[in-house]
Amino acid sequence: MANLNTKHRQNNTYDAIVIGSGMSGGWAAKELTEKGLKTLILERGREVKHIKDYPTTNKYPWEFEHRGQIPAEVQKENPIVSRCYAFREDAQHFFVKDQEHPYVQEQPFDWIRGYQTGGKSLLWARHVQRWSDFDFEGPARDGFAVDWPIRYKDLAPWYSYVEKFVGVSGNKDGLPHLPDGEFLPPMELSAVEHYFKSFVSKKYKGRDVIIARCAHITGNEEYYAKQGRTLCQHRVLCQRGCPFGGYFSSNSATLPWAMNTGNLTLQHHAVVHSIIYDEKKEKAVGVKVIDAQSKEETEFYADLIFLNASALNTNLILLNSISNRFPEGLGNDNGLLGKYIAFHNYRAGVSGQYEGLLEYTTEGRRPTSAYIPRFRNLMKQETDFLRGYAAGFSGSRGIERDLSDVGENLEKGILNPKYGVWGVGSHMMGETIPKEESQVGLDPKQTDEWGIPLLKVNVGYDDNDEKMVKDYIEQVSEMFEAAGFTNIRTRDDHRAPGLDIHEMGGVRMGKDPKTSLLNKWNQLHAVPNVYVTDGACMTSTGTQNPSITYMALAARAVDHAIRERGK
Amino acid sequence: MNRRRALQQLAMVTGGLVLIPSCDFSKEEALKAYQNLGITEADKQVLTSVVNVILPGKNLKGAEEISLQDFVLVMANDCMEEKEQKSFVKGLKELDNYTKKQFGKVFTDMDAPTGADAFRAILAADTATEKTTENIRHFLGTTKKFAIQGYMTSEYFLTEISPYELVPGGFKGKVNIEETEIIKTNG
Repeated sequence: MANLNTKHRQNNTYDAIVIGSGMSGGWAAKELTEKGLKTLILERGREVKHIKDYPTTNKYPWEFEHRGQIPAEVQKENPIVSRCYAFREDAQHFFVKDQEHPYVQEQPFDWIRGYQTGGKSLLWARHVQRWSDFDFEGPARDGFAVDWPIRYKDLAPWYSYVEKFVGVSGNKDGLPHLPDGEFLPPMELSAVEHYFKSFVSKKYKGRDVIIARCAHITGNEEYYAKQGRTLCQHRVLCQRGCPFGGYFSSNSATLPWAMNTGNLTLQHHAVVHSIIYDEKKEKAVGVKVIDAQSKEETEFYADLIFLNASALNTNLILLNSISNRFPEGLGNDNGLLGKYIAFHNYRAGVSGQYEGLLEYTTEGRRPTSAYIPRFRNLMKQETDFLRGYAAGFSGSRGIERDLSDVGENLEKGILNPKYGVWGVGSHMMGETIPKEESQVGLDPKQTDEWGIPLLKVNVGYDDNDEKMVKDYIEQVSEMFEAAGFTNIRTRDDHRAPGLDIHEMGGVRMGKDPKTSLLNKWNQLHAVPNVYVTDGACMTSTGTQNPSITYMALAARAVDHAIRERGK
Repeated sequence: MNRRRALQQLAMVTGGLVLIPSCDFSKEEALKAYQNLGITEADKQVLTSVVNVILPGKNLKGAEEISLQDFVLVMANDCMEEKEQKSFVKGLKELDNYTKKQFGKVFTDMDAPTGADAFRAILAADTATEKTTENIRHFLGTTKKFAIQGYMTSEYFLTEISPYELVPGGFKGKVNIEETEIIKTNG
């Protein structure tokens, strides 16, 4: 018996274990394997191989039975995921269905998940704006959450490091609050976006309109050929998985790269139950895994564990990692694990029309948009709410057809499209304030089919968010009006938090073990051989789409772990 | 997948019917391919005559030539709420009797221009007072919506009329509009 156990332990022992193969887990694995560590990735979902497992990627519109629409019955069975803009006929197989993985909503929260190789990196919107010290210093300046233990200078080289590999298209705009990076050629603004940019820069000091930085390859082809990826072809079918590897995903980039080192083992259907803590050794020694299909329990061992299960699932795993030393969850000495969850407020939008520049249009398709970096409360506090918002912005020429009649006239209408005026639109991406009462926890009674407690989610809007929505609508409407846009319409769709798919926090970084869970290297204060480098680590949210920051933090944390091993 | 199989079976079963145009459909069982609707082959004939009136094929391929009736039924069967479906099916089943009474001819027997006139007349009714054609109007409106959607996303339209580029390769933000240009509506 003893021999068998020893053998099992040897077979199941790695230098490092990474939990989750998504955006940040892929990065952790790439860095670990490149440094020579035998690394095991535990992925709870099924295998999705790059290109081979993108079943819809080369389909034409008419090849979809419902032309992209999700059938009513499926929507009825899956009200949560059906609210996600990308849950369509062409990408529905990459989303978790409501019934398969239930959770408890103490307040409405749309938890959008992707359980497969690459996680949500297949599905993301690919905007990659850097943070600046206006973000890192936010909590300290404005008196919320706790101070970040790092500043921009700590992360800047790691942003550069990951951007180069990811492939980031962008323009060097020279904005202190949205630092420039390692950019491939930018995509073009449309004529009306360009007009709005010029107008805003003249009329509004401190406000800018730029082309968004996005994770698409637009140059340096030889370099990306080494990854088996090539130039973005502007198909704008990204959510299906890209056969060109034109945008960055774990599937197309980090995972094959890690696999090529010969140091990676990628285990699918591996549902992590908990991290095993050894009280004699005073460290984490492995991970308890339940096979998603057979329900068989296995243990894997390593001296180094990276937790990248996605923000809320990372909280769940830590809360469920119970020992005598940590009865309230791994590393949870201060009782703050699962608390101070925040997200991005995407509730509001403003649209309009522009009747100028009618001699121009656009040509082709563009997988990104223009972007209005945060301007509110940036240099100093100027409103009755804290922080601010960034905004997406896009404008393109409308196409009109007279489809009012039937018969021959309808055919003529279909055959005679005419350019309409320019349509313009914007949506907000608001910073929200992490609060103790915004939290996740384990349901005391209900478990999932693997015997793991269901996650309870209790996250909502507050007065600060309401004021910010109002201000965004006022400011952007005013800017649109001043620019001569007409037919301005505003919306506040009161969507539940979560639908932004930018949930963050619960295992926040900080300087003080009494008020935070992670140190400045993303190690659990109390269990330093466990690193958390996904959205769970975020102390505050900023206004930027967060993935690039998770990637930079993950690469930086691995570098730290390797240096620690050398000591 | 089930529907595709059902449609194939249907084609085998009904293949012979095409040769007997005077066949009486009244006792036909519900079409298995569209279970949520509970419609018969005769009902499908009515729907086909409606899509042929909507897109008669004067300047383009006609609706039936690209099997638009099948697309409309797939969408009605799969992508409509139950309440809407009921009204759609009622309207479909009421159409022939109504036009017989109102215009002296069942819809299925009308030629394209006459059918189009009837279509317009029914939809022009005052929606507040005219309750008897409520379901018929809903049926015709929905069928037109799906017919246009299906037509403009059909293989025929997106290859021969307004080609869809799967791989456009680029994007230009500002290009001059030429007077004579054919508008590319699909990138």
